[in-house]
Amino acid sequence: MVQIRMTGSLYERIKTDLARPHPFAAERVGFAFGRIGTLAEEGRLVLLTRYHSIPDDQYIEDERVGARIGSDALTWAMQAVYHGRPSREGIFHVHVHPHAGRTGMSRTDAREIPRLMPGFQSVGREAAHGIIILSRDHGAGWVWLPARKEPVEAHAISVIGKPLGFFEKGAAR
Amino acid sequence: MSNDRFSRQSFLGRDSEERISRCMVGLAGLGGGGSHIVQQLAHIGFQRFVIYDGDVVENSNLNRLVGATSVDVAAETPKLLIAKRMIFSLQPHARVRGFAGRWQDNPEPLRECQIVFGCVDGYRGRHELEVICRRYLMHYIDIGMDVHGDNPPVIGGQVILSSPGHPCMRCMGFLTDEKITEEAKKYGKAGVRPQVVWPNGVLASTAVGLAVDLVTGWTRRPLSHVYLSYDGNRGTMKDSITLRNLNLVCPHYSESDVGDPVAAEL
Repeated sequence: MVQIRMTGSLYERIKTDLARPHPFAAERVGFAFGRIGTLAEEGRLVLLTRYHSIPDDQYIEDERVGARIGSDALTWAMQAVYHGRPSREGIFHVHVHPHAGRTGMSRTDAREIPRLMPGFQSVGREAAHGIIILSRDHGAGWVWLPARKEPVEAHAISVIGKPLGFFEKGAAR
Repeated sequence: MSNDRFSRQSFLGRDSEERISRCMVGLAGLGGGGSHIVQQLAHIGFQRFVIYDGDVVENSNLNRLVGATSVDVAAETPKLLIAKRMIFSLQPHARVRGFAGRWQDNPEPLRECQIVFGCVDGYRGRHELEVICRRYLMHYIDIGMDVHGDNPPVIGGQVILSSPGHPCMRCMGFLTDEKITEEAKKYGKAGVRPQVVWPNGVLASTAVGLAVDLVTGWTRRPLSHVYLSYDGNRGTMKDSITLRNLNLVCPHYSESDVGDPVAAEL
């Protein structure tokens, strides 16, 4: 079982950043960083530490997708993974689906975003990397644990703030 | 799931019942304070528990241990079992992971909680609980009481909320290195700590109130940190005076210092 957890202030920072309109992209994406904690029965906890907002000029115009980021943003992400190696800090692609309730990867998400993971894993071998998608009041996450080629869907995302957020897989809210 | 069992607490919010039932709470210590907290959490509708206590019921516990009876003294019933009995009598479908020992000997289950209650003796034990809560991003709610002097005796106590990213118990002036060191010097010489049921009840109820507010957000007020000081002689609970001039940026715990410790490569 894998869970993702973050503080309420980090959650607010992410939601606020991703809600800002972009000059041409239909949505925004960002990168969060997380470290691994061990749970009972070989469970894993991914604890998010910080968030990086992608500058406007690092997006590429592409009408086929809501947002596409360019090589500058990806280079920055790879460098961040490299610098996170001593603390085994991994990187998580984050974006928001603008609806309430449960969410998941769209066809485009499933086709495009997982392609980033082998690169992140090759640089940060001992870290967990992944994808987080938030809705207005829920969220879902996929985690590539170290040395695993396939992701595990997070059992839950917890937001440790007030009120507590607990976005459980399979639960409407 | 909704039924009239919780109709009297519907003001907590439309989805409060579900929020409460999904929240995982941890308790370290199931004695005078912890037994009150367990009882109240089960009444409110909490369903997921991780609980720790290695002691058995003794005669001197009966003045305050909620749920314990004279039979439990004779049977040397573990306090863990008293707590489980209480939970299951109110929430038969609860998921309880219980450990008859110290949480430090089995910390992984505790890390799964969103809220941890510390009902332990001593500053060192509180410090260690706060450390794990910061490292694995959990709200920590601490309660404790003590009786000082004898002319007249003075009952004091505290309820503290320490949340990741916000002031910790050191920031709030409750924990200091001096207190921990002084306590270590007195180790084994503390004698019998006076404990009575009603201050524990006040402190536990206040702590549970904080937890319900954290889970449901029903008061709609921001809640980053709490240090309430209890005066048991006057029956008052007030913000600690140490919160004046509080630095809201905690210098003791970094937000990036989370997860399993990683050995530094030299």
